[in-house]
Amino acid sequence: MNHMWKFTVRRTLIMIPQLLLLSVLVFLMAQAMPGDALTGQINPDLDPQEMQEQREELGLNDPWHVKYADWITGALQGDLGQSFQFKMPASELIWNRMVNSFWLGVATLIITYLIAIPLGITSGRFNDSLLDSSITGYTYIGFATPIFIFALVMLWIFGYQLGWFPTSGSVAPGVESGGLEYVMSKIYHLLLPAISLGLITTVNTVQYLRSEIIDTKQRDFIITARAKGASESRVYNRHIFRNSLLPIAAFFGFEITGLIGGTVFVERIFGYPGMGDLFIESVLLRDYTVVTSVVLLFGLASILGALISDIILSLVDPRIRIK
Amino acid sequence: MEKENAYTDKSVQNSEASESPSGFRILWREIMRDKIALISLILLIIVVAFVYGTSIIMDKEEIVKVDLFAIHQPPSDEFILGTDYGGRDIFGQLIIGTRNSLSVAILVTLMTGIIGIVYGLVSGYFGGHVDNIMMRILDFFLILPFIMVVIVFVAIVPKYTVVSFSLIMTAFLWMGIARLIRSKALQERELDYAQASKTLGSSNLKIMFSQVLPNLSSLIIVTMTLNLAANIGLESGLSFLGFGFPESTPSLGTLVSYATNPTTLEERWWIWVPASVMIFVLMLAVNNVGQALKRATDARQRRG
Amino acid sequence: MAFLEVKDLKVHFPVKGGIFGRTVDHIKAVDGVSFSLEQGKTYGLVGESGSGKTTTGRAIIGLNKITAGKVSYDGHDITNIKKAGLDVRKEIQMIFQDPYSSLNPKKRVLDIIAEPLRNYEKLSKQEEKKRVQELVELVGLSPESIVKYPHQFSGGQRQRIGVARAIALKPKLIIADEPVSALDVSVQAQVLNFMEDIQEEMGLTYIFIGHDLGVIRHMCDDIGIMYKGRYVEEGTVEDIFNNPQHIYTKRLVAAIPDINPENRKGLINYRHEIQREYEQFYDDYFGDDGLAYSLKPISDTHLVALPEKG
Repeated sequence: MNHMWKFTVRRTLIMIPQLLLLSVLVFLMAQAMPGDALTGQINPDLDPQEMQEQREELGLNDPWHVKYADWITGALQGDLGQSFQFKMPASELIWNRMVNSFWLGVATLIITYLIAIPLGITSGRFNDSLLDSSITGYTYIGFATPIFIFALVMLWIFGYQLGWFPTSGSVAPGVESGGLEYVMSKIYHLLLPAISLGLITTVNTVQYLRSEIIDTKQRDFIITARAKGASESRVYNRHIFRNSLLPIAAFFGFEITGLIGGTVFVERIFGYPGMGDLFIESVLLRDYTVVTSVVLLFGLASILGALISDIILSLVDPRIRIK
Repeated sequence: MEKENAYTDKSVQNSEASESPSGFRILWREIMRDKIALISLILLIIVVAFVYGTSIIMDKEEIVKVDLFAIHQPPSDEFILGTDYGGRDIFGQLIIGTRNSLSVAILVTLMTGIIGIVYGLVSGYFGGHVDNIMMRILDFFLILPFIMVVIVFVAIVPKYTVVSFSLIMTAFLWMGIARLIRSKALQERELDYAQASKTLGSSNLKIMFSQVLPNLSSLIIVTMTLNLAANIGLESGLSFLGFGFPESTPSLGTLVSYATNPTTLEERWWIWVPASVMIFVLMLAVNNVGQALKRATDARQRRG
Repeated sequence: MAFLEVKDLKVHFPVKGGIFGRTVDHIKAVDGVSFSLEQGKTYGLVGESGSGKTTTGRAIIGLNKITAGKVSYDGHDITNIKKAGLDVRKEIQMIFQDPYSSLNPKKRVLDIIAEPLRNYEKLSKQEEKKRVQELVELVGLSPESIVKYPHQFSGGQRQRIGVARAIALKPKLIIADEPVSALDVSVQAQVLNFMEDIQEEMGLTYIFIGHDLGVIRHMCDDIGIMYKGRYVEEGTVEDIFNNPQHIYTKRLVAAIPDINPENRKGLINYRHEIQREYEQFYDDYFGDDGLAYSLKPISDTHLVALPEKG
C-alpha cells in the first residue's frame, strides 16, 4: 500500500508541469490569434486615441508574462474572458454546452462497455471459432471506419431514411426544462450520436479484452485452477474475467482523450450543441476566447483522465508502477 | 537455441543464398499467405496506380472550374459521378482528391516516422535522465486534444498551404511511433551486440543508427503502415471539418463534408458516397496489410 | 609494474526509490577487488552468478562505470577508458558469453568482423575484405562465410566469429566472459583449445571469467575466487586446487566431478565432510554483513580472506 501511495503522489506531481505547459501553450495560441478582446467589441467609429487608452486600461499592451499571469489567475477563478461574438462571458457560454457534452460522453462510455464486454469475452473465450472471427472482423472494420463517415451513414439511415431518431439538437423544441418529458427528450436526442460513437470506439476495447483473455487463459494459475477440478464456467467467472476486466476498467480514463476527438465530429454531424460543436463554431466565427477556453478545458479533461487511469492501473497491475 | 550440429562448416559453405533473418522476406511471405492481406495489397496497388496515373492526364483546371449550368447533376455520360454545387465534376475531384489525401497521408507518415524514430532511438538508447525528460515531454504531447490543437494551428497559421497542413499534423502525431521505438531501443541496447560495439570503438551515434536501427526495421515497417491508415482517416476528418486541405484543393474529406447539408445527404448520394467508400477502402486495405505484417513480426501469431 | 593492475576496484549500482526516484541505496556488485597479471598469462575470475566476476571484467573494459579504485594497463591509467587514447582502447577487447546475442543478427559476418577495423583503421574495401577473410580462416571458418548472417551458423561457429572480431585489431588483452558456457560440452573443448592456440600465436593475455572449475583449471595460470563482490582467495592454479584455504574455495573444489569411478565413494564422503565444515564455520569465515574479510598472504602467491582473529 505504501508503494501505491508513493506512486499516486509522484504521478500527481507530474501533472503540475503538464498543467503549466498546457496553460502556456493555450495562452500562446490565444496570443497568436488575430484580433483581441477589443476587435469585435468596440464600435468602429471610436477614435484611435481613445482606443489606445482603452487598450492600455484593459492591459492589452502589457508584456506577455503580465498578460499570462492575469489570464491564468482569471482562469483559476473561473473567468475565461468574454466571447466577442455572443457578448457574454465565455464560461457561461461553455457551461451549457459542457453539460451536453458530458452526458454524451457518459452515454458513449456506457455503450462502449456494453458492447465491448460481451463481445470481448465471447471472442476471447471461444477464440478461433466462427463467432470469434465475426467479432474480429467487426473490429477490423471498426478500425478502418472514420467516425465522421460512420456517423453520417447512421444519421442518413436512422435519422432520415427510417426517421427513428431526431436529426439535430439536444432536446425537442418547446419542451420545458425539468420534468420527465424533458429528460426523455434529452436521452432520445443523444442516443444516436452516442451509439454511433460507441460502436466505433468500442473496437479497441474489444480487441484488448480478447487478447487479455487469451493471454490469461494460458497463465499458470488458470491451469492450476483447472487441474484442481474447477468447472470451466467457474474458471472463467472467478478467475479469467476478473483478471481481464480490471485493466479494461482502468482504461476508461484514457478513453476520455479519445472521446474528445470523436465528439467534435459527432456533435458537428448530429447538430448536437456540445463543446465540440461550440469549438468548431467559434473557430469559424473567430471567437477566440471561446476557442482557447475549450482547448484548455479539453486538455484539462485528458490530463485528469490519464491521471485516473494511471492510478487505477497501478492498483491493478503493479508492474506499471515501475516507470 | 539452435541445435549445435544443425549447420556444419560444410553446409554453410554449400548454402548459396544468404538472407537477413526476419527481414523483408518474412514480411513478404506472410502477406502472400494471408489472402485478405494479399487482396488488400493488390487492390491498393490498383487504386494507387489508377489514381496517380489518371491524375497526370487529367485537366485539373477543368475539374475545379465552376459551371453554373451544371449544378448538382446526377451521374450521366458526361459526368460519370455527377456534379457538385458548383457544377464541378465529382469523378475528377474524387481522383484528384484521393491523390491529394494519399500524398499528404504518406508525407505525414514519413515525417512523423523520421521524427519518432530519431526521438525514440535517442531516448531509449541513452536511457536514464535523458530518457526521463524526453518521455515527460512526449507524455505532454500525448495528452493534447489532437483534433482541436491542429484546428487552432490551421486557423492561426498565415499563408496556409498543403505543406503547412502536413507540418502541423506531423507536429502532433510523432509520439506513438516514438514510444514504440523507445521501448524496443531500451531492450536492444542491453543486448551483447550493442555492448560489443562499444568495446569495438563505435560511437554512440554509430551504434544507434547502424547497429540498433536495423534491428527495429520490422517494427518500423509495421507501425508506419498502420499509421498510414490512421493518417488517411485523420487527414480526411480534418478536411471534412473544413480544416484540412485549403479551400480550392479537392480532397476526399471535403467531398464527404458536402453531406452535412441534409439535402445532399438524402438526395445526392453521388457527391459523398464515392468519397466515403474510397476513404473506407483505403483505410481498410492499408490496415489489413499492416495487421498481416504485424502478425509476421510476432512469431507466435504467424500463420504458417 | 604489472601488465594489468586492478587496485581496490568498486562498482556500485544505485537503487532508486522514494517519490522522486532518488538513490536510496547501492548494490555493491564489486567491492574492493585488487589483482594484477603478467603479459601472456591467463587470469581466471571464478564465482557463482552474482559474485561480481562479470561486472569486474566489464568494468575494466568500460562497459560498467567504475565507482572507485584504479585500473592501469601497460603503464596507462585506464580507470576511465573513454579518456584513454585510442591506441590503448584497441588493445583491450572482449569475448562475450552468449554467441547468439553478441552478434548483430542483421549484419553479415563481413560487417561484424570489419566493425572494429572501420573504427580504427582506414582500409580500402579490398583490403578490408582480405583482412576479414584472413581472420575468418584463422578461426577455422571458410572464407565464403563472410557474406552470411549469424543465424546461419552454429553456436560454436558464432563464438569463433566473436573471437575473430575480438582479435581483428591485434589486441594484447582479451577479457573472455564465460566464452564457452553457452555452448554444448562437445564444442567447448574445441573453442578452448583454439583460444589457447591464438594466445600462443599472438601473445595474448586473457582474463578468463567462468564458473566451471574444470575449464578454469585447464585455461588459467592464476585464479581469483569471488563471492558477493569480494575476493575470498587468490593464488596459482596449484594453490587453489591443491591447497584451498578458504571454506568457500574448499567447497567449490570439492564439487569438481572426478571421472574415475573408483574414487566416487571417497569423493562423496569428502564432500559431505566439507559441507559440514562449511555450515559449521561459515560465520567464522565471513564478517557480520556476510562478506569476506580482507585478503592476507599465506605464501608469495597465495592470498586468503581469513578471519581477523586468525
